Amino acid sequence: MGSSVERSAAAPAAGVALIAAAAAVLPLLTRDSYYLDVATTILMNLTLTMSFRLQVSTGQINMAHISFMGIGAYASALLVTRAGLSFWATLWIGALVAAFLAVPIGSVALRVSGPYYFLITFAFSEVVRLFFNNFFEGLFGGPSGLVGIPKPGRLLGVTFDSKLALYWLMAVISVVVVLAFVRLDYSRFGLTAGAIRQADLVAETLGVNVFRYKLTTFVLGSFVAGLAGVFFAHYRQVLHSSDFGLEPMVLLVVFAVIGGTGSVWGPVVGTIVMTLASELLRELHHYEILVFGAVLILTMLFAPEGLVALPGAVRRFLRRPRRRAPAPTGAGLAP
Amino acid sequence: MLLELRSVSRRFGGLQAVADLTMTVASGSIHGLIGPNGAGKSTVFNLITGVIPLTAGEILFKRERISGLRPSDVCRRGVARTFQATALFREYTVLQNVLVGAHLLAAPGLVPALAWSGAYRECERRAHERGRALLASLGLGAVASQVAGQLPHRDQKALALAMALATGAELVILDEPLAGLADQEKAETTAVLRRLREQGITVLLVEHDMRAVMGVCDIVTVLDHGVRIAEGTPREIQTNAAVIEAYLGVEEPGA
Repeated sequence: MGSSVERSAAAPAAGVALIAAAAAVLPLLTRDSYYLDVATTILMNLTLTMSFRLQVSTGQINMAHISFMGIGAYASALLVTRAGLSFWATLWIGALVAAFLAVPIGSVALRVSGPYYFLITFAFSEVVRLFFNNFFEGLFGGPSGLVGIPKPGRLLGVTFDSKLALYWLMAVISVVVVLAFVRLDYSRFGLTAGAIRQADLVAETLGVNVFRYKLTTFVLGSFVAGLAGVFFAHYRQVLHSSDFGLEPMVLLVVFAVIGGTGSVWGPVVGTIVMTLASELLRELHHYEILVFGAVLILTMLFAPEGLVALPGAVRRFLRRPRRRAPAPTGAGLAP
Repeated sequence: MLLELRSVSRRFGGLQAVADLTMTVASGSIHGLIGPNGAGKSTVFNLITGVIPLTAGEILFKRERISGLRPSDVCRRGVARTFQATALFREYTVLQNVLVGAHLLAAPGLVPALAWSGAYRECERRAHERGRALLASLGLGAVASQVAGQLPHRDQKALALAMALATGAELVILDEPLAGLADQEKAETTAVLRRLREQGITVLLVEHDMRAVMGVCDIVTVLDHGVRIAEGTPREIQTNAAVIEAYLGVEEPGA
């Protein structure tokens, strides 16, 4: 994470290739359904965390991000079970529904910033959760959940009833999503997003329509969250409103912050490390969130830029222990 | 006339910050806006650049109305600015700061970035080239890869100007470009301003250093309590009785 602006296209390409290779190699190492399930969860969380971080890169902490996953999930589940549509159609429709709803919701929420934005999006996420929980019980299943969601149907002769096939599907989706977000981050779009986060008024007076940029990241992030939601619905085959409540949202924030939101690679590191940690801590049940809270506090105190910035911080610390080292982050720009 | 303010007013609650201000800035000039603290100078800059809305009046740039536009749209029409407290993207390198300034001349947005086409990369390559050339012309070539937040004050001032120029603006509005600079650095900056005038770029500036203002400006407008009390060449202003009484009376004119 150097300060050099002339970061070539090689570094991001290598990073994405590494992630794709890891995803492709995993099924060769194990066909155990538990490990495949954990790996699928990591990839699903990765798409969510990266789309959350895209918004953080412009300075927004969208506490309703998980709600757009829920909107995609419920939209697809209902379209498949009630309207008989194919998963392969609702995969896109669910994501588009999330994106379309993000336009008016983002337009309202983005009128405010900072703690007000945080609160308004948090309030919205509770409204969505309670809506799925308390209204139209015949449709959304109410507190007992929406059950009987089928797995994805056949596509081009391939069936998706095995863990392995579903893993491959999620792997393809998440590698495409990672590729897109890494590209954005290393492009002028990422440069502009970081400028907005650092000094939005300066960016605006230099010709950047700050509102439009923030709304674009909000809508694109919601589209990807919706995509993850559709997969989630047909992977788990059961939906509860609490799947899209505060607790999973907090976990999402923890993933992003622990990895480091200043870099596009932060969510990758954070998601892998914390999803694995979550599996190891499974026996702790409700105490898990306590442990995560403690980890979050420790990260903010001792590594505020996240795990991804640690190697550089250690290197700088060793090189010149007496001076406060700079830690430039944010987007670069490949010529 | 490049810029025209017509009966512009701005009220903050009970305070009339700018009152019925009419002024024009001629194309290709260096125009100074002076006045005691609280005279409304920075408010005028914020009104022109759309950072705060007008209470009354209108502002025209190249005969088109720019009052009521977003700041980014004012910039799109060709007006760029710097801020009094030097405002930069502190985590970015000097070159990255200038690249953000070149936003309007680049291919921004989602689609070009995702498509990563040859045209997009060519456009970015040219933006890098232009950025480097601009930095070199302002004496910042050697620090292009340094983090902006760690530059010395003089370089931060120069960078803020470079960012405004990178937008391709025809009018640059500078809020105290000389504040905190040593005499030698002030001379360098005023030389840059004269060079901009030669290139056809119009400069409107607020500055407290009277010697520099009188030395570099073609026309000076004097504000006091939000009201225009005088306008003219530096020589006329220095001998204007109202100005001396309201403002320069505290100091020797031209001192």
